[in-house]
Amino acid sequence: MKIEEKLSLLNYKTDKSYAHITINPDICSTCPDHFCVFACPANCYTLINGKLNFKYEDCVECGTCDIACSHGSVKWTLPKGDNGVIYKYG
Amino acid sequence: MSEFDVAVIGAGPAGSSAAIRLAQNGMNVLLVERGDPPGTKNVSGAVLWGNELAKVVPDWERSAPVERYVTRKEVAFLTEKSKIAISFSSEELQNSKSGKIIVRGKFDQWLAKKAKDAGAMLVTGVTVDRLAIDNGKVIGIQQDNDVITADAVVVAEGANPRVLINSGLRPKLSDRDVALGIKETIKLPENVINERFNVDSKSGFASEFVLGFLDDGLLSGGFLYTNKDTVSLGIVASLDRLRANGVTHSYDIMGKFEEHPFIKNLIKDGIPDEYAAHLVPEGGISSMPKLYGNGYLVAGDAAAFTFSNGMVLQGINYAITSGILAADTIIENRNNINENTLAKYVDKLRESYVLSDLYNFNGIQNVTWSDFVQKSLPTLAESVMMSLFDEKGMPKKHLRQIVTDAMKSGHMKYSDLITNGYRVIKRM
Ligand SMILES: Cc1cc2nc3c(=O)[nH]c(=O)nc-3n(C[C@H](O)[C@H](O)[C@H](O)COP(=O)(O)OP(=O)(O)OC[C@H]3O[C@@H](n4cnc5c(N)ncnc54)[C@H](O)[C@@H]3O)c2cc1C
Ligand code: SF4
Ligand code: SF4
Repeated sequence: MKIEEKLSLLNYKTDKSYAHITINPDICSTCPDHFCVFACPANCYTLINGKLNFKYEDCVECGTCDIACSHGSVKWTLPKGDNGVIYKYG
Repeated sequence: MSEFDVAVIGAGPAGSSAAIRLAQNGMNVLLVERGDPPGTKNVSGAVLWGNELAKVVPDWERSAPVERYVTRKEVAFLTEKSKIAISFSSEELQNSKSGKIIVRGKFDQWLAKKAKDAGAMLVTGVTVDRLAIDNGKVIGIQQDNDVITADAVVVAEGANPRVLINSGLRPKLSDRDVALGIKETIKLPENVINERFNVDSKSGFASEFVLGFLDDGLLSGGFLYTNKDTVSLGIVASLDRLRANGVTHSYDIMGKFEEHPFIKNLIKDGIPDEYAAHLVPEGGISSMPKLYGNGYLVAGDAAAFTFSNGMVLQGINYAITSGILAADTIIENRNNINENTLAKYVDKLRESYVLSDLYNFNGIQNVTWSDFVQKSLPTLAESVMMSLFDEKGMPKKHLRQIVTDAMKSGHMKYSDLITNGYRVIKRM
């Protein structure tokens, strides 16, 4: 099963007005390792033509990317209120 | 006058247990949880080991949502083609009901309800940003610019301690402080689970796996637990080894685990129903934050009270106990909350198994996460077993010769085996 299919099993209450994680594209454009891409279990960080693409909508709020990025690009907060992923089993 | 005697951040096992104990002792408690309902943000295996729950909910057996009791426990080493397992079943384990397999989505909601029933005020769907601090003293909790005041705060926010970090009370986490846990819940009919795992409808199977078959320096432990009509399958992967590897995606480790021939068979025809991920504290005492301060205490995963080393995975029991001890410290000093009185929390933790375990097993992850345990030992055992059991119609060699040959093919020296073996035993 592909990661996209696994993620499609999840329920979210997406906050369209607030991205709880943001990155600084200037820092990412010179990043030597892109560890965020390998670390994120929800495939939120992808490289498209060598350029980092980040989407917060699939985030499962684990906190890994904040640790993974050792270049200070990631600004990490929790979603506001009860927005974000909603686990059934957890 | 504060609005509450105590505010508790997080309705996981640590926070809810603290809130129950506090409310049972007549304290005016606010329990704040960002998930709505509680449990919808949490990820765990999950086997609740031990009987700590009885200290806050004596009649838990009547209402706790337990899927099955652990009656068979395994630790298994997976090489590419083999599985070498130590399997343990015991009537005593069965009778003591020491291992309870739970689903946190149901369990956390149930435990938070117990806090509410005991008299705590439960607020869900609210994310606390930071502690409200005035003149070096914690006076409550804060979201945006709203402050709710409390004489004491129990921080039980789990493995990703944003409140502590935002409040300047602990540094950001690093690769060595935590590992990444990924879990899938897979539907299988109850009768299929019973047959496949050789259990009946009340009894269950729990196994941890050492995933030595992973290539390229990846280190990871796996787990499989049988629920009523689902199976919990997951991995816990070391972040620094994933970083050093630099080419493998974390979710591919999970994929490889699922595809291992021995795991594939166990989940055959199952329908994947949920994918989840969460951090697991694994740094032990070296990543522990300050456990108390003027007006606050830290419990559970937020305090790094978890054990995770690829062979065992425990934290719910420490969460419950530390939550209770945090509550007891506040109750005993209810009229005199300050840094000195709250310091007694650490004494209580030391007297309990929580800090004793963490100190006793300090550094064990260096052993259980080592290449020796993950790779060399399983490969050696595999090779020895093959020589012993794979009947080729030839006379068998002497056992010592078999081991020596296996070690030669694995480029291992007797002296390595002895020193490493000693290190393992010393740490166990
Ligand atoms: C994959 C995996 C498998 C595991 N398996 C096992 C196992 O089999 N057995 C075992 O004993 N342990 C296991 N653990 C460890 C166990 O899950 C933890 O040790 C345990 O959940 C810790 O409990 P806690 O109450 O401290 O934290 P949590 O259970 O994480 O609870 C914290 C709560 O706080 C809430 N919260 C967080 N921040 C805020 C905020 N800012 N505002 C409001 N609310 C907030 C969260 O939503 C959550 O409900 C496993 C962990 C993982 C990740
Ligand atoms: S987020 Fe960090 S690790 Fe990822 S590409 Fe940007 S700088 Fe690199
Ligand atoms: S918090 Fe976890 S799931 Fe969300 S983007 Fe970061 S690594 Fe991915």
